[in-house]
Amino acid sequence: MSDSPFIKIEQVSKSFQKGKATITPLENLSLEVPRGEFLALMGPSGSGKTTLLNLVAGIDSPTSGSLWVGERELTTLKRGQLTKWRASHVGYIFQLYHLVPILSAYENIELPLLLTSLSKRDRRTRIEAALDLVGLSNRATHRPTELSGGQEQRVAIARAIVHDPELLVADEPTGDLDRESADSILQLLSRLSKEHGKTIVMVTHDPRAAEAADRTLHLEKGKLTR
Amino acid sequence: MLPFTYAVRNLFRDPSRLLQTVGGAGLVVFLLMTAAAFNEGMSSVLSGSGSPKNVILLGTGSEESLERSEVHLEAEDIAATSVKGIEQKLGRAAVSGEITYQAPVETESGVKEQAILRGVLEDALLVHRAVELETGNFPGPGQVMVGRLAHRKLGVAEEELATGRSIRFGDATLTVSGIFAAPGTVLESEIWFDRNDLATLTQRDTLSAVYLRLDQGKWEDVNVFTLQRNDLELTAIREDRYYEKLAAFYQPIQVMTWLTAGLVAAGALFGGLNTLYAAFASRIRELATLQSIGFTRVAIFLSLVQESLLATLTGTLLALLVGYFWIDGTAVPFSIGTFHLDLSPAVILTGVAVGILLGIIGILPPVWRTLSPALPKALRSQ
Ligand SMILES: Nc1ncnc2c1ncn2[C@@H]1O[C@H](COP(=O)(O)OP(=O)(O)OP(=O)(O)O)[C@@H](O)[C@H]1O
Ligand SMILES: [Mg+2]
Repeated sequence: MSDSPFIKIEQVSKSFQKGKATITPLENLSLEVPRGEFLALMGPSGSGKTTLLNLVAGIDSPTSGSLWVGERELTTLKRGQLTKWRASHVGYIFQLYHLVPILSAYENIELPLLLTSLSKRDRRTRIEAALDLVGLSNRATHRPTELSGGQEQRVAIARAIVHDPELLVADEPTGDLDRESADSILQLLSRLSKEHGKTIVMVTHDPRAAEAADRTLHLEKGKLTR
Repeated sequence: MLPFTYAVRNLFRDPSRLLQTVGGAGLVVFLLMTAAAFNEGMSSVLSGSGSPKNVILLGTGSEESLERSEVHLEAEDIAATSVKGIEQKLGRAAVSGEITYQAPVETESGVKEQAILRGVLEDALLVHRAVELETGNFPGPGQVMVGRLAHRKLGVAEEELATGRSIRFGDATLTVSGIFAAPGTVLESEIWFDRNDLATLTQRDTLSAVYLRLDQGKWEDVNVFTLQRNDLELTAIREDRYYEKLAAFYQPIQVMTWLTAGLVAAGALFGGLNTLYAAFASRIRELATLQSIGFTRVAIFLSLVQESLLATLTGTLLALLVGYFWIDGTAVPFSIGTFHLDLSPAVILTGVAVGILLGIIGILPPVWRTLSPALPKALRSQ
C-alpha cells in the first residue's frame, strides 16, 4: 500500500473540440507521483500543463485512460461525486489567487470547512492555525483588496490546506508575484510538503520555482520528459 | 451550503444593480398587484350590486341595456297587483318603476361630466335595500339625492356635491337634498332624481324598468306574469343575473388590464434580466472557484436564489407599502359606477407570489449561463 504511488496516471488522453478541429493537448500520458512528493511541471504555453493539473484535481475528466489519486480512481466518478471528492481531498492554488472579494481572509479560508461537519469553534481553531502557518494571523479581518499579492496568495494557500487535504495543486502560484514574495510562497509550499506530508503538483514557468520542488518534469507536445 | 452572509454581501456588491433589482421587482409587483386589485374591485362591485331577491322588468328586446329599455308607466301597478310573493312593507309592495339615464351634469364650479341619473319615487328604498340615507332627505321635486361616490364619478371634490349645493342638468338647477350610501354597489355613484322631474327633463313618458323585491315569490312567478301579460312586452331578469351579464361585458377590460400590466412587467423583467446577466457574468470565475473548492452547483444556485429573493422581496415590501398608502381604498370610476381598489388578502398574496416567482424564475436564465460552462473554462475566464 505505502509503496504504491499516490497519483497514478495511465495512458491518459484529453481532447477538446474547438469547432471542427480536435485539439489533443495530452496524448497517452503516463505518470506516477509518490505520496509526499513536491513535483514541478514545466513546459511551453499551451502544452497542456493546466489541463493535466485539472485532471489530477478532479476538475476535469480525461477523454481516455485512467487516473488514480490516493485509493480513488477518479475516472469512475461522476460529476457530483468528483465535486464531493474535491471538497475533502484537494486544495487548488491559482495564479491569480481567486479569493472571494466580498469575504475577509478569515471567511475565505473558512469556505472549505463549511463543507465539513466541524463546529464553529473547531473551524476557528483550524483557520487560526492555517493563518498562523502562512504568517497572516494579523490579517484575518482584511478583505482581499486590502492585501498585497503575496499576502493574497498566502490566504489562498491557507484556504487550500485548512481542511487538510492530502493533495495540493498549484497553477503558476508565483506567476504574478515579485521575486521576494515568490520565494516565500515557494518556501511555504516546500514546508507543506516536507513537514506536513502534502503531495504537491505545481505548474510553473520559473526555473527557480522548479528548484524548490523535489522533481521537475517537462511537458511538451503532449509528452513528459525529465 | 454557502453562508447567508455571502448572499447578503453579494447584494451590496453593486449598489446601482441592487437599486435596479429592488426597484424593478417593486414596480412589477406593484403593477400586477394594482391590476389584481382593479379587477377584484370591479368584479366585486358588479357582483355586489345585484340581489337574487330582486327582479328587473325590462322592455323586451332591451335586456342588455337599462338605458334603452322602455316600459309602460302602468306596468308598475299591474306588476304590483298581479305578481305573487312580492315583499310588503308597511302595507306597500316593494315595487319601484324607475328611469335610468346617462347624461352630463354640471356642478356649481362649472365641471360638466357624464353622470348616471336615476329617477325614483320613495318606494325605490323598498327595493334597493343597500341604499341608506346618510344625511338629508329623499329628493322631492327640484331636488336630487347623490350617492356618496358620485363626486368621484364626476371627478369633483366631495364638497361640490354636499347637501345644499346644486347641480345643473339641461335647463334645470336642482338642489342636493341628501347623500346616500349603498356600500359595495354601483348605486353609490348615481344621482337620484324625483322621477317626474327626470321624466320631464328627459321628455320621456315611459319608465326604463320596474324593480320588484320578492319574498315568497320566485323569478319563475314573475316570468309567468310577463308571459301572461305579453301585451306589456316585458322581460324578467333577476338582478344578480343582470349584473353577471354586465360583468361578462367588462371581461375584456379585465383581460386588457392584466395584459397591460403583464407587458410592462415583462419589460421591467427583461431589463432586470440584463442587469443580472452582467452581474453574474462578472462572477463566473468566482463561482467556478467555489465549485473547485467543492460547493455543488445546487448550493451555489441556492445562494444566488437567496440573494435575488432578498432583492425581489424588498421590492415587494416597498410595493406593498406604496400600495397601502397610495392605492388602498382608492375609488375608481367606470362607466356604470365606481369601485374601490382594496389591498385584500388575495391581492397581497398575488404581490408576494409575484415577488417570489420573480426572485426564482428571474434568475434562472442568467444562472444557467453562469453555471453551465465547463469548470476549467469558467476558471480561466476573467
Ligand atoms: N476548454 C477548452 N476548450 C478547448 N480547448 C482547450 C480548452 N482548455 C484548453 N484547451 C487547449 O488545450 C491546450 C492546452 O491548454 P492548457 O491550458 O492546458 O495549456 P498550458 O500548458 O496550461 O498553457 P499556459 O502555460 O499558457 O497556461 C491549448 O491549446 C488550449 O487552447
Ligand atoms: Mg496554464
